[in-house]
Amino acid sequence: MTAKSATLSHPLLEGHWASEADGEGHVVFAAEGIHCANCARSIRSTLDALPGIKRADVNVVNSRVSVSWDTSQLKLGTILGKVAQLGFKPVPLVGEAAALAQRDERRAALKRIGLAALGSMQVMMYAGGLYAGAFTGIDASMAEILRYTCWLITTPVLFYSGAPILRGGLHDLRRRVLGMDVTVSLALVLAYLASAYNTLRGSGEVYFDSVAMFILFLLVGRYYEMRGRHQAANVTDALTKALPTTVQRIDRDSGQAERIELSAVHIGDWLRVGSGQVIPVDGKVATGVALVDESLVTGEAEPARRHSGDVLLGGSLNAGAALTLEVTRSAGESTLHGLVRLLERAQSERPRLGLAAERMASWFVVRVLILTTLVGIVWTFVDPDRAFPAVLAVLVATCPCALSLATPVAIAAATSRMARLGVLVMRSDAVEGLAKIDTLMLDKTGTLTQGKAQIRRINVHGDLTREHALAVAAALESASQHPLAAAFREHGGEKLVCDDTHEHAGLGIEGTVAGTRWRIGRAEFALRGRSSESHAGDSDAGDSDAGDIVLADEAGNHARFHIADALREDAVATMANLRALDLEIELASGDRPQTVAQVAAELGIEKAAGALRPEEKLANLRALQQAGHRVLMVGDGINDGPVLAAADVSMAMGRGSSIAHAAGDLLLLRESLSSLPQAVEVARRSLVIVRQNLRWSAAYNMSAIPLAAVGLMPPWVAAIGMSLSSLLVVFNARRILR
Amino acid sequence: MESVYLLIPISIVLVGAAVWAFFWAVNRGQFENLEDPAELALEEDRLIESDQDANSNPPPRS
Repeated sequence: MTAKSATLSHPLLEGHWASEADGEGHVVFAAEGIHCANCARSIRSTLDALPGIKRADVNVVNSRVSVSWDTSQLKLGTILGKVAQLGFKPVPLVGEAAALAQRDERRAALKRIGLAALGSMQVMMYAGGLYAGAFTGIDASMAEILRYTCWLITTPVLFYSGAPILRGGLHDLRRRVLGMDVTVSLALVLAYLASAYNTLRGSGEVYFDSVAMFILFLLVGRYYEMRGRHQAANVTDALTKALPTTVQRIDRDSGQAERIELSAVHIGDWLRVGSGQVIPVDGKVATGVALVDESLVTGEAEPARRHSGDVLLGGSLNAGAALTLEVTRSAGESTLHGLVRLLERAQSERPRLGLAAERMASWFVVRVLILTTLVGIVWTFVDPDRAFPAVLAVLVATCPCALSLATPVAIAAATSRMARLGVLVMRSDAVEGLAKIDTLMLDKTGTLTQGKAQIRRINVHGDLTREHALAVAAALESASQHPLAAAFREHGGEKLVCDDTHEHAGLGIEGTVAGTRWRIGRAEFALRGRSSESHAGDSDAGDSDAGDIVLADEAGNHARFHIADALREDAVATMANLRALDLEIELASGDRPQTVAQVAAELGIEKAAGALRPEEKLANLRALQQAGHRVLMVGDGINDGPVLAAADVSMAMGRGSSIAHAAGDLLLLRESLSSLPQAVEVARRSLVIVRQNLRWSAAYNMSAIPLAAVGLMPPWVAAIGMSLSSLLVVFNARRILR
Repeated sequence: MESVYLLIPISIVLVGAAVWAFFWAVNRGQFENLEDPAELALEEDRLIESDQDANSNPPPRS
């Protein structure tokens, strides 16, 4: 497919990459060729100028463009066409087309590097001859041949390998922006033209070797930056890459299977997913028990059991036998797609850090050009021969490549690393924020507990054993839909049958088991007003809780079940790890006070409060912040909006349908907080590396500029230094990935 | 010295050939994966199970 035919049968126009709701269209795609903030800005401003555009965001780090538009005024094809016109090829995010696009981008870059490398080496050989000749004397005709040969080899290097740089410089100038590409292109073109002139003239210095080497090192630096960008992009790509293009649909009546396209799946269809295959869409288990590996979506390595009626997430792996599922959401609306769209939209928002760097870059370039002119003028008076090399060296030495790479590259690496921990970074300044927190405010006790009602304690009174009480209770609760009933069902040792069951809504159940009439439920219901008597008989009266479930028969024998949520096995370890990072933990929850108090007691959390309303949580947060603390708030994302927004960093728990509502700087895809300590460590390490990178690049620029201005640094040394510093910054950032 | 007048054009042709060969290799996908081959050399030799089971006789000594 050539670029010209792109708008006719573009893969983005088919399939489910663009969605539409209420006349508003959304699409997220990758734009090939974005490599700096100015590229992003030009795309954004061009799209914003189109009629009917509601929102256009561009993310430099992973080359994502996220657009919302009014479908009555604008077509997707027009949007894609505009982006292509600017010189950035729109490609789908994931799937074959995206992988191909990435591969093509890599190959093109490699070819340019290959030519630049071979060309540079060759030109250096010839230039070496010229340098030697300067010392020992050289035939004029020999020098001429060498110069022309250098020119010959350097030309394809400049115009083919250096094409992206020159194009970038032109784009910048056309938009009257002074970006990094402007200084670099200026240096390259000036050097090339001056050398060509001198070659024709037959005397004077030629700088072809500097031009070629400068281009080579610049390209190598950008290659690694591109790889980093691809990696950051692949974090979200992994989420949907595994989805198949065709699925097996089962006809409910005949049991026959047919293969259909993923996009043709309807809600209510029954699909068959073989053993080891990826579950293609959101659905629920139609028959039997399924074993699924949800690590792709949540990062949880342990496969989970799902029973009939339980939710299955698209993107998870069927780790058990073949299963049948009933589709609950179409392919385009699956959890996975929702997650990808949410992520892309969030990451496309202009990060505060990025904007600051953009402004600094323009300011910087203006000063560079002024400095260069000054250097040129001064040298023309002192020693005109050395003016040009000095000007060239200054232009090259001031190139802030390393400086502009320092932060984005580290953030990209951190995002990738944290995604592997199940923590999705929604905003790039979230990483910096996470590194600086000293307090953790938890809303959900569910992150620390197993989320299951469990029988923690049984106190029996009268002629009743614990086992018998459990068996009777299980029999009574066997048909109940009440959430607490599940706790009893799992414990049935002896299976008893209950007849004549009668459920009293909100109070309890009564029924006959083995001839005896039993009641189970709230104390008042079960004991029928005899609670004062039973209290006297309780040996552990102090432990009784109004929330306990009581089982009683008519003779006064009764059992008191204390039901609560057990802590997760990793909760204690997680708390210890968090404390080891010097983090204070506070529970400010809307959950029941008893639950909160119990969890706090078991984990040694001092500050805990339950049944808090959003305003109270906000007040707590503000109090902490006013005391100088930086707070990470972990909440639900659905109804904690204001509190999450007010926190220094917020983490929303997102799973299944709640993903659509999740609003936070970070998104936790898992059920437990166990990966949070590691995430904090990654964030802190990233900050250290960003500072290292910034310090190093600034130091390089600061020391190189005076040397270049004074004439002590020839252009080719400046070129090497600049590119080496870029490479150093990129490699330093890769340390975060370990 | 005059040989240089011949050698320089030859070297240009060689560079051209080298560039062409590199482009050909890239297009054929030889540079797709630059990381794994390095790891491959460090891995232990793996025994192929089927061979072990099939051969009840040890290989003859050479």
